Amino acid sequence: MIGVAPPAYDPAAPTTATTLPVGATATVRAYVAELFRRHRRAFLLLIAVNTVAVIASMAGPYLLGGLVERVSDKAAELHLGLTAGLFVLALAVQAVFVRQVRLRGAVLGERMLADLREDFLVRSVGLPPGVLERAGTGDLLSRITTDIDRLANAMREAVPQLAIGVVWALLLLGGLVVTAPPLAAAVLLAVPVLVIGCRWYFRRAPSGYRSESAGYAAVAAALAETVDAGHTVEAHRLGARRVELSERRIKEWTAWERYTLWLRSVLFPVINAVHLLVLGSVLMVGGVFVLRGWIGVGQLTTGALIAQMLVDPVNLILRWYDEVQVAQVSLARLVGVRDIEPDAGDASLNPDGRAVHADRVHFGYREGVDVLRSVSLEVAPGTRLALVGPSGAGKSTLGRLLAGIYAPRDGRITLGGAELSRMPAERVRSHVALVNQEHHVFVGSLRDNLLLALPHSRLPTTGEGPAGSHDAELWAALGAVDADGWARALDDGLDTEVGSGGLALTPAQAQQIALARLVLADPHTLVLDEATSLLDPRAARHLERSLGRVLDGRTVVAIAHRLHTAHDADVIAVVENGRISELGSHDDLVAAEGPYAALWRSWHG
Amino acid sequence: MQIQDLPYPDPGVPDARSGPRFLWWLWRNQLGGQLKSLAWGLLHFVSVSALPFCVGLAVQAAVDGSGTRLALTGALMLLCGIGVAVGDTFLHRTAVTNWITAAARVQQLLARKAARLGSALTRRVAAGEVVSVSTGDVEKIGWFVEALSRFTAAALTVVVVGAGLVVYQPALGVVVAVGLPVVALAVLPLLPRATRRADVQREKAGRATELASDTVAGLRVLRGIGGEELFLDRYRRASQEVRHAAVRSARMWSLISAVQVLLPGLLLIAVVWHGIGLARQGRITVGELVTVYSAVMVLNYPLRHFEEIAMAYSFSRPSARRAARVLSLERSTATDGIREAVAPGGDLHDPVTGLLAPAGRLTAVVCGDPDAAGRLAERLGGHPTEPDRSVLLGGVPLDELPLDSARTAVLVQDKEPVLLSGTLRELLDVPSSGAVRAADALAAAQCEDVLDALVQGSLDAADPMDARITERGRSLSGGQRQRLALARSLITDPEVLVLDEPTSAVDSHTEARIADGLRRLRSGRTTVVFTSSPLLLDRADRVALVHEGEVVAVGEHRELVDAEPRYRAVVTRETDEELAAADEGMLLDALQELEEIEESA
Repeated sequence: MIGVAPPAYDPAAPTTATTLPVGATATVRAYVAELFRRHRRAFLLLIAVNTVAVIASMAGPYLLGGLVERVSDKAAELHLGLTAGLFVLALAVQAVFVRQVRLRGAVLGERMLADLREDFLVRSVGLPPGVLERAGTGDLLSRITTDIDRLANAMREAVPQLAIGVVWALLLLGGLVVTAPPLAAAVLLAVPVLVIGCRWYFRRAPSGYRSESAGYAAVAAALAETVDAGHTVEAHRLGARRVELSERRIKEWTAWERYTLWLRSVLFPVINAVHLLVLGSVLMVGGVFVLRGWIGVGQLTTGALIAQMLVDPVNLILRWYDEVQVAQVSLARLVGVRDIEPDAGDASLNPDGRAVHADRVHFGYREGVDVLRSVSLEVAPGTRLALVGPSGAGKSTLGRLLAGIYAPRDGRITLGGAELSRMPAERVRSHVALVNQEHHVFVGSLRDNLLLALPHSRLPTTGEGPAGSHDAELWAALGAVDADGWARALDDGLDTEVGSGGLALTPAQAQQIALARLVLADPHTLVLDEATSLLDPRAARHLERSLGRVLDGRTVVAIAHRLHTAHDADVIAVVENGRISELGSHDDLVAAEGPYAALWRSWHG
Repeated sequence: MQIQDLPYPDPGVPDARSGPRFLWWLWRNQLGGQLKSLAWGLLHFVSVSALPFCVGLAVQAAVDGSGTRLALTGALMLLCGIGVAVGDTFLHRTAVTNWITAAARVQQLLARKAARLGSALTRRVAAGEVVSVSTGDVEKIGWFVEALSRFTAAALTVVVVGAGLVVYQPALGVVVAVGLPVVALAVLPLLPRATRRADVQREKAGRATELASDTVAGLRVLRGIGGEELFLDRYRRASQEVRHAAVRSARMWSLISAVQVLLPGLLLIAVVWHGIGLARQGRITVGELVTVYSAVMVLNYPLRHFEEIAMAYSFSRPSARRAARVLSLERSTATDGIREAVAPGGDLHDPVTGLLAPAGRLTAVVCGDPDAAGRLAERLGGHPTEPDRSVLLGGVPLDELPLDSARTAVLVQDKEPVLLSGTLRELLDVPSSGAVRAADALAAAQCEDVLDALVQGSLDAADPMDARITERGRSLSGGQRQRLALARSLITDPEVLVLDEPTSAVDSHTEARIADGLRRLRSGRTTVVFTSSPLLLDRADRVALVHEGEVVAVGEHRELVDAEPRYRAVVTRETDEELAAADEGMLLDALQELEEIEESA
């Protein structure tokens, strides 16, 4: 075996464009510094108990060395009782403090980890809605699962253990210096070997481990997909291909395992050589010194035993250094969310009235490519506007602009005379809500799933508060969307656990919950992005009745994939190629014999 | 088995009758690797344990003032050192190889099992279990299987060194021989509690992760409606619970650490106390005392393996049980069939509902109950989860054909087809007749804007076929996903294609074009579409209305709209009141109707 080159295929390489930023080195460094500052006390405490434990651990070799000295000198008085007493005392101190080291390490690690994950979620829920719309939640999701997981080990174990290992090794070296300075010099013989070996290894290891764990995750992911797509796999007779894919993933993963195993196959002999050099040079150099009479045999004994003890901290440092390096990448991804400017908004802006007005609006997702061009619109309070048009024409984008999620590149969109994009997100949503196909039911009680829609000021303050204080209101909202029937039939009522892992709600029930939230949030303007399109027609019909009640009295902008939605509207805007090509009531447009009329006839038969 | 030879050409047939049997089966299947690891382990541990003798000899040489003996000791030490290094490296290599080959074997078995079970996995309990075995249990199973030989080597070493000490220095050796088992076994009673606490901690951590990812998954809802603080508070509580559980668990582990310091320490003191007495009486030399002291110190290392194997077993036992259960799952119906494999063709007929889809035609099925429609669509493909009288294709009962033949003849695209991740090229590379080109299928399913979106979202792909689709196509909208799935089914070009609501999330403009494309591409082939969209129904050769489990009307769309009120009710979304009004040619919508009712009430 001459060596193993890193495999060509790297499962850790990104395949889709990262949608959210990754933290710059400076941001990461600033964050780590802040984390240490916050936990300075716990950190110092850990170092203190560790110091005591290590010093106590050196008592054994020291006392034995003394005894050996006296025995070999044929000294009359050995003070055996006193020595044994000291021995036991040192051992007791060591045991107690080793326990404390382990415990303090865990306390520190867990605190830092908790801070990190909570900080990340706080930042995530503060992201501007526009960023979320554009980036989707996939990238965030992988950060909060995979990256937090990877960091867990680093924070929980690696950081405390590294601190312990470094202090431990330094103290042992110090002990050696105190016992017999020439022996400490002998230890240094091993340092160059250690440095060269470690430099070689650590230059390659972190990325190797990252790819290896990504490779292993890919094995599990391939299987999870086969399972998830069971129906599709069977219908398309893809079974053999899925097995093939799983085996290819196994091959890719094990190729990285083989590479990292090779890295360790180099590192391990180096480490062993270092340990041997340390012990050997202490014994040989020390032995010669004893023969020359420069140091005593007791010093040699103590020195040799301490040198033997150095194995543990050195291994500890090497073991966890890897982990910290791997964790840096994950940390950069978590901290990256901090680099996104939270949109401050102008809190003094307050809409006067409910009229929505778009004035020569231009908008594009990418530089130089406008999806909407010079769109002007007026939506009077209480009217229903339907946006129709082919996929990709820009109707969803226009809906998001009208809901204040994106800011126009040029032109203005105002609500009651105030510019939507300059208002804080919390202000916008008390007036306008976007309802899309996403009817997320959160893990938790039915109550929590509804309470979230109540304005923040009306929520019970943190803690367990009076859980049922808003129940009447919640029931009324459920009633308004025809959901109180099934909800009252639930065994635990509003306390029923829903969402993944809890009671599985049907898509129609999930949608009703989404509608009930709207009733509670009570915005005067709604932008509907085909809220019922993913549902079965029969369920959809039932829901439209519930929806009808929610819409009553509000201004509605409906992005219509289905023409019957358009037919009901007061005004229909046909969006084609980023412009409004037709505008008018259903009857007007049918009479105009344009594209809308043609489509209507085909649909209505 | 070497790592570079993985995966196994055939992972074998596991003994999945129980967890322990499965572990035993895995171990037996890597006997060679286990023996290698045992041999290297013995070299390593014995060499490590020999170092203390060198220390003792060196100290004695120094005491005796013998330079020659000191040099000889140095040489002996070098030898031991080489043994340690070589043994360590190769023990690690063989042990890791054993772990990886065991893990890879289990992963392969799981992949094969999942592919075989196919749609039977959609019962969610089974699905979740397969995945959790793959993500969590495989590692633990591999760990225990691998650790067995390492443990054996360590245990043998402890015995050898204990015996060696008794021979080398009987008076002190006996003290050590008595003390060692106590030290080795003392922490074992603490382990079950520690692992239980670790389990609690893991469970809580899993819950916190679930809450976090749930909050993030619903973040757009939260930002759009509100409630961020509510969910942050909830997460903070869960996160702090994890912290408390972790610290509680650490308390137990730290106790174990303390015991691991205390007991060997006491043994050391006993050795020193007893040894100094012996040394003073001149019965042992100073070097021998140092040897025994240092040997006890070093023995801690192999002794840790007793603890490891106990932990590995307690972790891997439930894992192995779960794995064995998953690997013994079977389909409820026989997949081999009771007839010869043939490729049937002709009319598709369902004797239960009376549905007939004539060969080579486009038949649409309208069914007011979406669940019933889903079940009927599944039956049309043969081998359904709830077998009844079999569907006949050209007179051949599909349920009696081998599963693979039935799936080849009839492709049923269910209501929620899943897009498998990979490049678009990989997605569309499905077993097919070869007659339909990908470009034609994509055009027929109106996928142009999907291709654009894919190129935009990808890192470096200029050709949409190289663009990657994420898991379940999450980066695409519902309508885009539907259209890609439809294109995939069109490429397959089966004798019979059954589509359940293939365009429910597609806008009307596009749907109309898809209907034309579908008709053109499937001309001369048998196609069944479950839908309630007039745009699709209008283009079908024949429409069947299924009501309460039976076909109650057959005809063309326009005929049925005129003649069949039940049909009109499903297709045009009219309410009963509107049906009456429909005579006047008026179409009112449900919403307005409702408002009027409310106003009049």
